[in-house]
Amino acid sequence: MDVIVEAVTQVWPGRRGSSVVALDRFSHRFASRRFSCLLGPSGCGKSTLIQIVGGLETASSGTVQIVDPSRPSIVRPPGADSVMVWQNLNLFPWRSVLDNVAFGLEMQGVSKAERHTHAKVLIMSVGLGGFEGHLPGQLSGGMRQRVALARALIMERPVMLMDEPFGALDAQTKIVMQEELLRVFDQTQKTIIFVTHAIEEAILLGDEVIVMTARPGRIKEILTVDLPRPRSLEMVNSKTFGTLFDRAFHLIREEVMTSMAQQTTALEAR
Amino acid sequence: MTDGKTRLAGIAERAMPALVIAGVLLAWELFVRLRGIAPIYLPPPSTIAVYLFRMITDGSIAFNLGVTLLRIFAGFAVAAVTGVTLGVLMGMSRIIARIADPWIAALYPLPKIALIPLLVIWLGTGEVYKIVISAITAFFPIVISTYAGIRQTDQGLVKAARDLGANRRQIQMKIVIPAAIPSIFAGLHLGMGVTVILVVAAEMIGSSSQSGMGFLLIQSGQVMETEKVFASLFVLAVVGALIIKLQEWVDRKVAPWTVYRQEN
Repeated sequence: MDVIVEAVTQVWPGRRGSSVVALDRFSHRFASRRFSCLLGPSGCGKSTLIQIVGGLETASSGTVQIVDPSRPSIVRPPGADSVMVWQNLNLFPWRSVLDNVAFGLEMQGVSKAERHTHAKVLIMSVGLGGFEGHLPGQLSGGMRQRVALARALIMERPVMLMDEPFGALDAQTKIVMQEELLRVFDQTQKTIIFVTHAIEEAILLGDEVIVMTARPGRIKEILTVDLPRPRSLEMVNSKTFGTLFDRAFHLIREEVMTSMAQQTTALEAR
Repeated sequence: MTDGKTRLAGIAERAMPALVIAGVLLAWELFVRLRGIAPIYLPPPSTIAVYLFRMITDGSIAFNLGVTLLRIFAGFAVAAVTGVTLGVLMGMSRIIARIADPWIAALYPLPKIALIPLLVIWLGTGEVYKIVISAITAFFPIVISTYAGIRQTDQGLVKAARDLGANRRQIQMKIVIPAAIPSIFAGLHLGMGVTVILVVAAEMIGSSSQSGMGFLLIQSGQVMETEKVFASLFVLAVVGALIIKLQEWVDRKVAPWTVYRQEN
């Protein structure tokens, strides 16, 4: 499924009648089977954007539409097309790994036996076999991340929205999870929109890196990553990677400076 | 060598509280005996122990404690059921919250002991009066904590559930209520604490039943049997501590996830 974002603007009401423009006329077509990374300084509205795409926030203006590229004439508003993997995971702490992963099916009214069978397969596939009965609080950060991934994958939705999912992980676990995600992407061919502020991660994972401006969030530049798939970590040392990194770094640096200047002004104005 | 030392230090640390208690009791005993203080003011621990033993063997502790515990659990049960129910309803319906809020705001700060004269007029001095006064008192912390817990549900969890296809009702039953459980338990702990206080107080004031630990205390006090007063206080303290431990055990059984800290 392609996700067509058209002129999405998000304005937050501020204090004393002022308002903050978080996103300013963001337009982009997130193509099927493409891994898109949204890269930008904090506060640039990238999390807001994917929440709007996921139907969890309502945009002030603009539209999000879904189209099946094999039937391009039928454009429709999004329904249950996407699933989110959250920055802070949002696992349900009182539910076992099994019942966290099976949650989506339970909400659909799938019988216990059936949803548990299905969930177990996914738990095995993310390498958590044997931990079905554990509570999220008993697991390490990386393991919880796998639970969150399995809980999203069980929904079998064509679009996966990921909001800095690996931001809180230590460096080693992060590498393992990135490889895990690349494997999932290569196997399932979903449309992935992945929010990050890590340049290296964006280039390593993405087919395209959408660099965003500081607030208000707009597209600054789209970098196409022509590294071959399947991707591997060694590609970090390639010349292509180096060139892309330098370009992205340059773009991001400007925006981070702008963002910091904005924050300073905001503090001074207080 | 170092190992032996740390182990000794560990044993010493664990033995310390018991040693301090023993020390205080010994000082108390010596102070009373050496200064010749009349037992009517302050009996020595050894005499209190003898009285306690007698009260246990003649069955007066078992009977009065049993009666008090029954009243405590009856009052607590009423308060828990009504308090949690209303708290959940308030958390889910803005109208119910609006209606209930001024009543709770007005009645919560009122010292419930001040209701005793009124309740005695209405209900007499029997069992109903004691259960009602303790239930009313325990009701408020329970309803307030439950309501707060429901309202403070992590919105991230709600959004995540919605994203995974949960409808409004499913979100309330499967997310909001379980998420409020730690807060509900905190309310139940507070409620149990005040139930114990109010039952014992009600047994002391205007009770016609001539039973319970509160009655035993006031009766012993009136006839200047200070040893029995101390023995009863000791029993109440121990039972209070046991009730708290029991509640903590129930919490862990019912909601084991509250034991693990979430550090997502």
